[in-house]
Amino acid sequence: MQYFISQIVNGLCQGSIYALMAIGYSVIVGVVGFVTFTHGEVIIMGAFAAYYAFEFVGSMNLPLGILAAFVASWLVGIFVYKVCYERFFKAPRHIALICTIAVSILLKNLMQIVFGAARKPMINVIDNKIYTMGPVQISRLQIVIILTVVVLSLLLLFIFKKTRWGVSLRAISQDKSAAALIGINVKRDAMVGNCIGSGLAGVAGLLIAMSYAILYPSMGSTFGMKAFTASVLGGLTSVPLAAVGGMCIGLVENIGITVTSATYRDIFAFVFLIIILLIRPQGFASKKGGRP
Amino acid sequence: MKELMKPVSGTLDTIRSAFLKHKKLCLLIGVVLSILLPLVFPGGYICGVFCRILFYGTMAGALNVINGYSGQMCLGVAGFFAIGSYTEAILATKFGLSMWVCILLSGIVSMIFGAVLALPTKRLSGIYLAIITLGFSEVIRIVCLNWTGLTGGTMGIKDIPAPTLFGFVFSRPRHYYYIFLVLAIIFLFCTRRVVNSRIGRAWMSIREDELAAKSLGVENGTYKITSFMYGAFWVGAIGAVYAPYVSYIDSTLFTLDTGWNVLAMLIIGGQGTLSGALVGSTVINTLTEALRSFGDWRYVVYALLILVVMWVRPQGIAGASNSILAGEKEQKVKQDAETKEEVC
Repeated sequence: MQYFISQIVNGLCQGSIYALMAIGYSVIVGVVGFVTFTHGEVIIMGAFAAYYAFEFVGSMNLPLGILAAFVASWLVGIFVYKVCYERFFKAPRHIALICTIAVSILLKNLMQIVFGAARKPMINVIDNKIYTMGPVQISRLQIVIILTVVVLSLLLLFIFKKTRWGVSLRAISQDKSAAALIGINVKRDAMVGNCIGSGLAGVAGLLIAMSYAILYPSMGSTFGMKAFTASVLGGLTSVPLAAVGGMCIGLVENIGITVTSATYRDIFAFVFLIIILLIRPQGFASKKGGRP
Repeated sequence: MKELMKPVSGTLDTIRSAFLKHKKLCLLIGVVLSILLPLVFPGGYICGVFCRILFYGTMAGALNVINGYSGQMCLGVAGFFAIGSYTEAILATKFGLSMWVCILLSGIVSMIFGAVLALPTKRLSGIYLAIITLGFSEVIRIVCLNWTGLTGGTMGIKDIPAPTLFGFVFSRPRHYYYIFLVLAIIFLFCTRRVVNSRIGRAWMSIREDELAAKSLGVENGTYKITSFMYGAFWVGAIGAVYAPYVSYIDSTLFTLDTGWNVLAMLIIGGQGTLSGALVGSTVINTLTEALRSFGDWRYVVYALLILVVMWVRPQGIAGASNSILAGEKEQKVKQDAETKEEVC
């Protein structure tokens, strides 16, 4: 029972990281209108940026790491947008998809060349104090992770609901040509949307590296697919529902490995995805969103 | 960029039309050349490259049936490959079956998995199908890695026996080359027949317009499953020859990267054309061999090549410029559809 409860706590913590990735994914799919396979690489890129920022400064400054991850992934977001999306808005949809696959191969191998393929231990930013409340045990790291995700999500919600920028992003995600008609610079703002999504993914990468305490270039692809799974669960374009989806994936995974062994961890997300697509392809959303 | 590369694209178009004009002659020359190749270059290394060109080409061709002809988005080719190889390896090492029987059996097992994958997903399309097939490939790999009793787990399966035919033992790459060549020729012949039959036309009609195909009486679901089964059969059959060729298999041979390789060959060669897969395989394998001394950089070059092809010639090297994959045509069709939607 003790083990089960601690797995639920782990699931919530991991789920909140997945939620952050899925939020980023949903922003990208919603605003740009294309699905992406580069998400996993963007996630790891953010983690590496934070790792090198920590090494450069020499101190364990979490806000600095988050900033570094966000900025680096933002830049990658610009690159991905320019290469994969900008000229393919009116072309057949598979072209942009294959371009993102190519960019994902490119980024992964560039990272392996530049950063080295070996596993790097992530610097421990937070000291590992464990709080106990009855049967529930939660470490300080997990609390920090969950708080970071919550703060970033609220910030994103604020930007989307209250600022002019957010309004134009939402307008683009609803209808690009109508948005262009009322004077929104669609190409620029779609790029900004892509960059915001990538930036959030980069921060999620930092959190992943912190919670696993390890970092290597090829770990990204499974996370990219989990982000996709979570955002499909939330209806692909809805940001709050994607967060719920991410939480669900985290919980399912961690409860799943209590039943079987930890080596099968990556299977649960896929099996879960297949079941969801069979029963309810639109996920939690009431109608089918996006243009998959 | 597109304007810059127009002469290259134009040259490819001219070569393509020249090939189409003298099709039989070209085929004959191709077959004779490919039979003579290992006699001219008998070295083990260079024959290994030829083998790779052939089996990747056939695999990309099988994927072409799913992706190119019936317009689905299957990214899980590594999974079928793994199923075929492991079936052969297990049957040959544990039950002592001959490889020639195993080719058929592996194909059938892989085909069954193809049907199992396609049955529930026949209503899905585009990105959903892509991600499910991707997940399928990873699930197969993880199961192969962890099911130690059957697949040997991380140890893999060692000492897969070489095939024999009338007392002749196939032990060198140049012997395997002929097996791959025969398989590739049979594959091309069968696929040509299938694609030009009722089934092939149904696949293509699904690719061009699913709704219109349905209204003309094409059972979309059935034909999608058929295309998955056909593609999976051939990938499995190739896997069955691949296992004794490398004589040791483990799960690292069937990662997503293998799937990306095959997909990239198909896309660079040209989807929806019979020759495209082989052309793409030849280009990619020659290039990766030429760049071998650059180590990891060759994958960067490889990714850049896909990007350039997508930017300049989205229909692939061997694709026709008036193909639906080339862009302009589909754009018009799509615009028409959108205006229709607005009217409704």
